[in-house]
Amino acid sequence: MSALLQLLVNGLVFSCIIVLGGIGLSLVYSIADFANFAHGDLMTVGAFAAFVSAGALAGVLPDVTFFELPLALYVGLFVGMAAAALVAVGTEWLVYRPLKNAGSIELLITSIGVALAYRALIQMQFGSGQRSYAIDRQGRVEWLFDAVGVALTPRDFVVIGLTLALVVGLHALLQYTTLGRKMRATADNPNLARVSGIRTREVVLAMWIIGGALAAAGGVFLGIDLLVRPRMGFDLLLVVFAAVILGGIGSVYGAMLGGLVIGMAHELTPAIPFVGVEYASGVAFVLMVAILLLRPHGIMGEPA
Amino acid sequence: MSAETPTTDRSASATNRILDVDGVDSGYGEVQVLSDLSLHLNEGEIVCLIGPNGAGKSTVLKTVFGLLAPWTGQITLRGEPIGGRDPADLVRDGVGYVPQVDNVFGSLSIDENLRMGGVARRDGLEEVIGQLYDRFPILREKEGAKARTLSGGQRQVLAFARALVMEPEVLLIDEPSAGLAPSIVQDVFENVQTVNDLGTTILMVEQNAREGLRISDRGYVLDQGSVAYEDDADQLLDNPEVSRLYLGGADYA
Repeated sequence: MSALLQLLVNGLVFSCIIVLGGIGLSLVYSIADFANFAHGDLMTVGAFAAFVSAGALAGVLPDVTFFELPLALYVGLFVGMAAAALVAVGTEWLVYRPLKNAGSIELLITSIGVALAYRALIQMQFGSGQRSYAIDRQGRVEWLFDAVGVALTPRDFVVIGLTLALVVGLHALLQYTTLGRKMRATADNPNLARVSGIRTREVVLAMWIIGGALAAAGGVFLGIDLLVRPRMGFDLLLVVFAAVILGGIGSVYGAMLGGLVIGMAHELTPAIPFVGVEYASGVAFVLMVAILLLRPHGIMGEPA
Repeated sequence: MSAETPTTDRSASATNRILDVDGVDSGYGEVQVLSDLSLHLNEGEIVCLIGPNGAGKSTVLKTVFGLLAPWTGQITLRGEPIGGRDPADLVRDGVGYVPQVDNVFGSLSIDENLRMGGVARRDGLEEVIGQLYDRFPILREKEGAKARTLSGGQRQVLAFARALVMEPEVLLIDEPSAGLAPSIVQDVFENVQTVNDLGTTILMVEQNAREGLRISDRGYVLDQGSVAYEDDADQLLDNPEVSRLYLGGADYA
């Protein structure tokens, strides 16, 4: 029982990373109308920006830690989010805006090129090897282990807590602010949004900023959980796609739900008899296919 | 001039032109739909565009509203050229547009739909939404419901109301009765008339030509992208040739 609970908690950490990547992917799909294959590499951009800034700040900022993570890494997280948002907006300006009359397929192919460009630029600077954030090895939180028998490190708390805060913040933005309503309106019916006098540019910019920042947070959390590598985001992209499609592509809330389900499925693989952990992604995809057979537009998706 | 025709000329302020479309060609991509089309709106009128399918009626509205750029010719609003300007700007200049289909945000609540209609308002949003709720009580009743749960007729009311949040001077309406049950069509035309009575000038495309002309001051018959006839609405209804060619024969209604 507690072994299963342990797998579920592991899944929750992985789910957080998928959810953060999935939200931006779904936003871009719903508002800019294409599947952005560069979104995984945007996560990498954020992770590396955090790596560089946390490294630079380590000697400058006071040497304090929260949940056994250095202050410099928290600041690095925000720098990474800002950097990825900036890169996303810059890419829109440089690449996607001049292509505004192109179709979804052309934009998809273009985004593959953008993904390769991001990765090549990172590898030019950092090589293709792996790095890690300056984090001390962490043991499990003892009181939690004593109480429910689940081993969770302090940094897992950070990942889960900050993801929750970001998701709640996004929910509040979408539901209760004019910008959020404009974003939902534009995703729902872009033509009517234009006709209503909504300045679509403003909405598109907000979308890239939010999508980029959340992708970066996901990238940093992946780096905290594992390692920082130039291929980290790209390797995750298919699983993020699976989550977004499962949840209903174009729906932000679907992306959250899909991320949760896929992350859990991924980490629950050890509990399935005769299936090795190497097949974790396979299990996630089988689950996606199974759910799509029942709900072809995803859990929260609506028929076109 | 107006003194000679006091009975038929309901557009008393015939000289007070609010919208002018002059010699416009327009279309989609390479395909030309409108050729040398001219029409105008006087302040306070309801003007109805009728004509066979494919005559370019909706294209006129889309071109006026900046959804399509005119290839040639001029469009002016109170004398200011507006051809090819962005809809978001036109909304701020007092032009509203009610599309024929997909004219509500289905996943947003009724209240949010109205708020989206007023994104360009600087002030008075709450007041004007309150007034619209008073005028269309069905919307207040369903305020929090998602727009996709509304019936066809209710959607049309919401689509109107959304466009009215800006209190436009000119409202362009694309086939308000399309796809609605005959029993509701009359309500829709009544709403058009109410909006007009409150001072909004209306340019309306209508497939339901007789019904549309009955509530209109003037009408244009479009055929193959140009104006084939223009006259006071009652004159068009009485014109035997128009009746035979465009209104489906004699009036049995």
